Amino acid sequence: MPSSSGPGDRVAAAVRNLPVGVSADARVVREVWTTIRFANGRITQPHFESALRVSFRTAEDQRIATATTADLTPEGVAAVAATSRALARVAPREAKFRGFPTDSAPRPAKVAFSRATSALGPEGATRIAERILAAAAAAAPGARIAGAVNVGTESWRVVNSEGLDRSTASSVAQASVLVDRPEKEPPVSGWAEAAHWDAARIDADGLGREAAERMARSAPVAVRPGAYRVVLRGPAVSELLQFLSVLGFGGLAEDQGYSCLRRQRGRRIAPSAVRLVDDPRSREGLPCAIDYEGVATRATPLIDRGIAGLPATDSILGPRLGRRPSGHALPPESPVGEVGPIPTHLLLAPGDASEQELVRSTKRGLLVTRFHYVRTVDPGRAILTGMTRDGTYRIERGEIAGPARNLRFTESILAALKGIELLGRTRSRHASERGGIAATCPAVLTRSFRFTSATLF
Amino acid sequence: MSEELVDVALGAAEANGIAYADVRLISPQRYLHLAVRDGSASALTSSVAAGVGVRVRTEKAWGFAGTTLLTPAGVRTTARTAVRLAKAAGRRAPEPLRLTDDPGPLNGRYETPLREDPFEIGREEIVGMLLEAERRLHVGREVKSGLASFQAWDERKWFRSSDGYGYRSRIVHVGAGISATAVRGATVQRRSAPSSFGGDYRQAGFEFVRGLGLDAHAEEIGREAVALLDAPACPSGPTTLVLGSSQLALQVHESVGHAVELDRIFGSEAAYAGTSWVPADRIGTLPYGSALMNVAADATEPGGLGTFGWDDEGVPAQRTPIVEAGTLVGVLSSRETGARLGLSHSGGTARADGPDRAPLIRMTNVDLAPGDLSFEEVLEGIDEGVYLDTNRSWSIDDKRLNFQFGTETGRRIVRGELGEQIRNPIYSGMTPEFWSSMDAVGDRSTWHLWGLPNCGKGQPGQSARVSHGAPVARFRRVAVRGG
Repeated sequence: MPSSSGPGDRVAAAVRNLPVGVSADARVVREVWTTIRFANGRITQPHFESALRVSFRTAEDQRIATATTADLTPEGVAAVAATSRALARVAPREAKFRGFPTDSAPRPAKVAFSRATSALGPEGATRIAERILAAAAAAAPGARIAGAVNVGTESWRVVNSEGLDRSTASSVAQASVLVDRPEKEPPVSGWAEAAHWDAARIDADGLGREAAERMARSAPVAVRPGAYRVVLRGPAVSELLQFLSVLGFGGLAEDQGYSCLRRQRGRRIAPSAVRLVDDPRSREGLPCAIDYEGVATRATPLIDRGIAGLPATDSILGPRLGRRPSGHALPPESPVGEVGPIPTHLLLAPGDASEQELVRSTKRGLLVTRFHYVRTVDPGRAILTGMTRDGTYRIERGEIAGPARNLRFTESILAALKGIELLGRTRSRHASERGGIAATCPAVLTRSFRFTSATLF
Repeated sequence: MSEELVDVALGAAEANGIAYADVRLISPQRYLHLAVRDGSASALTSSVAAGVGVRVRTEKAWGFAGTTLLTPAGVRTTARTAVRLAKAAGRRAPEPLRLTDDPGPLNGRYETPLREDPFEIGREEIVGMLLEAERRLHVGREVKSGLASFQAWDERKWFRSSDGYGYRSRIVHVGAGISATAVRGATVQRRSAPSSFGGDYRQAGFEFVRGLGLDAHAEEIGREAVALLDAPACPSGPTTLVLGSSQLALQVHESVGHAVELDRIFGSEAAYAGTSWVPADRIGTLPYGSALMNVAADATEPGGLGTFGWDDEGVPAQRTPIVEAGTLVGVLSSRETGARLGLSHSGGTARADGPDRAPLIRMTNVDLAPGDLSFEEVLEGIDEGVYLDTNRSWSIDDKRLNFQFGTETGRRIVRGELGEQIRNPIYSGMTPEFWSSMDAVGDRSTWHLWGLPNCGKGQPGQSARVSHGAPVARFRRVAVRGG
């Protein structure tokens, strides 16, 4: 966590010493990350970085602008405040802006954090990678093994001229592994991934084995594009949920009129078994106590027994949408910030089916492990496209019939949600890089999922 | 102080028994992002970063560490961390790493030629320009959202390696664009200019942004967005497709540029970005497209976002033929991958997006060469077809074979002439078949060098700015449909 003396206090003083009529908020962010990439069975890109930076946002006469710097010397802090003010003076007015959040309830909760994870360091992360490599190699001799281990912490302190001064820290451990046989025609591959706030809970040996065991032993066969009943494993479900967060529950999408749920708030969009919550405090996800405006995080129902909830807000989008900040602010300067506030700690409630039961409930269909290169085709209808990869299987008469060559889907998330028939009983954690968006979810069975073309492998 | 820190970092790395080290100090790395949306600020951000990245190699492994703590103690610790990582990584490495032998600069200098330094332009002038362009997008109530944005990057770098090579550079990139989003019910249509991804970008000064004339195009873009709400759906089926220059640039990026990255070909990116359909042993013989297809990666191209003096391994910028008359003849390489392939020299495409990232193979300026037909001649002889341009969605598989692109704008082609506008066009295909179907290529008058500011790759993620020159071109029997 940023020190309570030194750079953090220097920034806090700069925020509080602004002239009357000028308000500001600032984030002092410290990040320490180790990423160990491996490929072709060896560690190829070991990476460590440590960074300290401040983002300083000024509001004057409802004109708002942000400046950032990595220079936290007294001169650097003074300069970033001055740059922010100068830029704000030329900004158009944000007419509905009512000020930065106050230091009012709710108070930030105490959330799970692993000191051991933050202290793991380069050698500790390397040992996890080595264990994954060894386990995968033992389970699939001669196969090619690739993946990454990412361990680190991000901590941030938010201060503003309304008297708010709050901090949080988030520990993250992620690991992924691909085991493949590129020499086979067509090639086969298996995939496993995990994320946790405590690196000790990453089962490195199990991940290596799981990816190896999921690699098909027979040649994938071509499947005709079309609509199929589909069992989506955790990584695939997570990807769809992350897009839904932006397209359906993003404050900016709502404000700009392209949200796929804009006209469906309070209406049924999925069966009642579908319960999606955003809860940054939950130990089931990757916890953090505040957002990047210092607002305490809390559980927010997004889909409550199939009924669509409200979009996320922050101090800019909240007033535009007639709501208070919901605790979903992102750093105002980040490229991600261009999508506005979004839910980033998604929890999809489990059902009671095993993966075997999901498959058994499918007379003819496909099982998809994960997607690749998913992009939005039509935001208003939440239509996405992307490829399957690393574990796509044919289901026939309720059993896995064998591996399938990969397919391209072009489908609406809303249609996939509406078609959910069963949810798995076990959940897995998944996260974008460094936990930017995390989703804890079960596998699901959806009745119809449209594949529009196929590839050669 | 800056140069001294480079020496401190290099000295600390070399003192720890490594085979090679290079140090990049970047100070400052400036970024200015000004964007207005519907008369309000969407992003008004000025960022200044600085840091040092130390990369070391033992006999068997790399190690990399970066920090923003620019003190002698900070960079010394960082260098030692890089060494620790390399030593840990090398514990079980089966064989030594080899690099190409590339003489670098002893005291190189590279600087973007600028007429108007974008960081010296008054912010008020830029914001005023954006507000005016954005205001003009709102030609009717159905234009729910307008956006006008400007971005500028300025990176000053000191590079030194334990081989004794070193250079300094200052590279400035700028870009700007507008987009209008029209909404009716659940129908959302967007039009952008000069292209999607925030417009067009160049290694240049603010004079490039002035030349874009955003406000002059804004009303037309707004009207086109509204008109798309009522446009008929794109017809479905295999048809003749003419791609406009900006969409073809992205097609080159996705289905050629990434596919010829040698780290992908060798499996180094297998778990994340993916691999490639291109086999390493087919360089020089692999049919990639029709005889009209000529592609080169040129890091010396004036104005390109992938133009520099030396890459982040100190290798000189160069032009590498990739596809000649439809045959794959070259790839994008680094010192390590080049040595593995048996090249005598690296292709000089190892780049990092900041001091806290290690260099990876990245595209430079990967261009499709123009042909000799005018736009009208490319359309000639098409009884029925579609003309598509300006990307709306993009996706391709992890070997860069199966792709699907949607575009913002589309027109029917009927008897060699552009006809009515069509909505939500999507085309798809397989890379070699698609490029083999190219039977007409536009001339220099149809060719444009586009800047792409957001090419993602690597873990941790890196965003590269690259350029692609492309003309218009015609493709036969392409699967097209409405989305």
